[in-house]
Amino acid sequence: MTAEAAGRGAELRFLDPAILARLGTLELRARTVVEGFLSGLHRSPFKGFSVEFAEYRQYLPGDDLSTIDWKVYARSDRYYVKKFEEETNVDCHLLLDISASMGYGSRGVTKLRYGSMLAAALAFLMTRQRDAVALTTFDEAIVTMLPPSARPSHLRSMLVTIDRIALGRKTDVSKPLHLMADAIGKRGVVILISDLLDDPAQVVEGLRHFRFRGNDVIVFHLLDPAERTFPFERAARFRDVELGDELMAVPSIVREEYLNALQRAIDGYKRDLGSAGVDYQLVDTSTPLEFALMAYLSTRVKRR
Amino acid sequence: MFGLSFLSPLFLVGAAAAAIPIAIHLFYRRAEPVIDFAAMRYLRQAPVEESRRRRLRELLLLALRVTALVLLACAFARPYLAGAAVSSGAATVVLIDTSASLSAPGQFERARARAAGLVRAAPATDDVAVLAFAHALDVIAPLSADRAGALAAIARLEPGAGATRYRAALARAGEALGGRGGRIVVVTDLQESGWDAVSDGGIPEGVAVEVEEIGGPDANLAVTALRVDADEAVAVVQNFSSRPAADQVVFQDEQHRLGAVPVALAPGGIAEARLALAPASRGALVASISDRDGFAADNARRAVLDGGSAVSVLALTASGHPTEALYVERALAVAQGAGGFRFHAIRASAFSAFDGEALDGVDVMVIAATEGLDERGRGRLARFVRSGGGLLVAAGPDVDPAIVTQALAGIVATSWRVREAAALGFAPADSRHPIFRPFAGAGALGQVGFTRAALVEPSASAGILARYTDGTPALVEERTDAGRVLLFGSDLNYRWNDFPLQPVFVPFVHETLRYLAAPRATRSEYLVGELPGAAGATPGVVQLRQGRPGAERTRRVAVNIDPRESDPRRMSIDAFQTGISRLQATSAQAARTEARRDEDAQGLWWYGLLLLVVSLAAEGLLGRRLG
Repeated sequence: MTAEAAGRGAELRFLDPAILARLGTLELRARTVVEGFLSGLHRSPFKGFSVEFAEYRQYLPGDDLSTIDWKVYARSDRYYVKKFEEETNVDCHLLLDISASMGYGSRGVTKLRYGSMLAAALAFLMTRQRDAVALTTFDEAIVTMLPPSARPSHLRSMLVTIDRIALGRKTDVSKPLHLMADAIGKRGVVILISDLLDDPAQVVEGLRHFRFRGNDVIVFHLLDPAERTFPFERAARFRDVELGDELMAVPSIVREEYLNALQRAIDGYKRDLGSAGVDYQLVDTSTPLEFALMAYLSTRVKRR
Repeated sequence: MFGLSFLSPLFLVGAAAAAIPIAIHLFYRRAEPVIDFAAMRYLRQAPVEESRRRRLRELLLLALRVTALVLLACAFARPYLAGAAVSSGAATVVLIDTSASLSAPGQFERARARAAGLVRAAPATDDVAVLAFAHALDVIAPLSADRAGALAAIARLEPGAGATRYRAALARAGEALGGRGGRIVVVTDLQESGWDAVSDGGIPEGVAVEVEEIGGPDANLAVTALRVDADEAVAVVQNFSSRPAADQVVFQDEQHRLGAVPVALAPGGIAEARLALAPASRGALVASISDRDGFAADNARRAVLDGGSAVSVLALTASGHPTEALYVERALAVAQGAGGFRFHAIRASAFSAFDGEALDGVDVMVIAATEGLDERGRGRLARFVRSGGGLLVAAGPDVDPAIVTQALAGIVATSWRVREAAALGFAPADSRHPIFRPFAGAGALGQVGFTRAALVEPSASAGILARYTDGTPALVEERTDAGRVLLFGSDLNYRWNDFPLQPVFVPFVHETLRYLAAPRATRSEYLVGELPGAAGATPGVVQLRQGRPGAERTRRVAVNIDPRESDPRRMSIDAFQTGISRLQATSAQAARTEARRDEDAQGLWWYGLLLLVVSLAAEGLLGRRLG
């Protein structure tokens, strides 16, 4: 999280992810985040960026029945369909890491849950912007894949899919990335939500693949607060949530080295992804989702 | 080879506390929480421990904790290295009694046969040793598997003239086992007097003692004493039986039979046989009987007629009349003759004219008066003391301290002065001193009442042997280069005290004068075993060298068997085994004492505590690392 974003966060009506997670449905959560976020944007530097204009025209055979505006029909007894100036702006591909390591969470919200809410909020926001949204979940392979669409029904099915995500197995980010990069036909925005617990070189290589295909790439690197600070006190056996093996460690002794290793990895990602033209966003799962949305919108602004 | 032993082994029970960390290790070793963690990729780059390595460290930690607890218990148990090596294998030690009480006809043949039988019957795996004992112990066949050698050694054995000393013999036999387990078989006549002697020693634990009783004669006649009394040879014959007996005592000198005196003895009775000797007889005298059924070794006794055997005492009195030293004279009279005292008294004023050669024969002088002791006499007195003569000064009313002090100037610095009359008692300062040892404590001496006493001012080098009840010295000893001087702070003639009327007076005077005469000891009779070397091991008359190198003098002394050895009374095997039990208890006590001494000297518990501290420090460091 940047200092700039943190400063803005004080002005916005943000929700703690743990509180947000307790809200009813994923749609409600996504709506809460996005609408709260957008209401805050009225005083933000992103003014003027809004949804497209619509017009009505008389129904012609061959038009999609679902586009008929039944309210107009009720008033005028004529069939009119809603026409949009432009169906979609851009294809957005949400890539959500569901590997076992994403199941870790020290403060009630796991990285997967946070990532799910982030994906849902982004999908909600993109759909409002008439962007086509695609969703892919993966662990060491692609688990689910929803093609891009900007229709509200697609959003609903996407939210249902996200809501039903189950933890996968071990992480292998690079392999699904290459597959996805090859599968995406139209250039768009690729958003990777992952804890990036994989070989950094391969992760970077996979993301370069998207860039090579002309996509804008945003990486949300999710880290649990405990992973960022290693707050443990007592000697403990640390069990790998993916592999199940244990390591005995005395936190006071290993903390510094661990944090250094983590920082080196973060610095490496920042450097390598920056040089590859990939937006890298480190996200602490204890921070409100709005910061992540802000990062997304910044990328979109840059793209326009 | 040394073995580790413990002074207080019960404390080793505390080592059971070592089970606590072991139990904790076994049952609570997963006490560390297990934390699921995702970013293991980065944690692995930190210096974490693999579980296996961790377990190794835990085991090391456990070992250190257990070591610390065990060391603590060991330190409290007071460890020490026992010097005696414990060898493997059992052994049989055959201990044959060769004392004089086995010299009855056929008796020792039985003993040899029994001993040989024991050697043959010893288990084939046992080593066998054969030891002969009486007053001393000889290893005639050392511990080995050589049965033939042991049998040959037994065949060569003959009874000796020593006295039975079971305690010392068993102790030495125990030592001969060299720390092995095994048994000691004593081939003996079970003579009752064998337990009388007091000596140290015991039997090691784990050693069984068996007895092969030889038996012995029920009757025995023995010549138990021979002395010369005023030109008469007196032989004492004792009948150790319940039947009357008759024999004749034959007296001989070194070349001739001097005569025979018949004796008739009641059951258990004693008779004296007296034979007149030629005046100034010199040489050796033998008195023998012909008891054929009893012990042969006690049928003869020897004495030396050379004189000098009695302690010669010269008293200086006011007038030279014996009554002026009446009580001392009477006290010494009960032990006249050989081994006793010869008493003379002269006027102090006549001492300067006393025959010089006669003075050389004087062992002890008693100063009861100084009146008339002239300058020459004082000089002779000083020379007498310097030459090793003993001097007893009785600081009574007739002794002038100034004269004695002047006479002994440069030799003795102790002085005294007369003080006011006061009722006093006295007690030894050290009851272990040779003079007071026979009194077995101060009880009897405490009965002596003093109405007047001298105030003795001892010199720095003087030893205070007894004190008055007011704490002032009563008997002070000054040692000269060659002799001894005793200053008694009162008189010895019933004027300032009632000492002469007390029963302790006679032994006090005897022991005091013998103590003073010791540097010039002229004892003429010894018991078998008392003199060193082969000459003292058999009865007879031997030459004895005495004196300082360069001023040696040779004299003849008689060596006779211990009269107690003539008593044929025997004890039962049970009584003998009871004595063994006491020995074993003594041995255990001695072993404990020795163990305590060893432990004190070695101080191993300090090292244990040091190791404990090191263990705890290492445990602390390792524990901190393990978190």
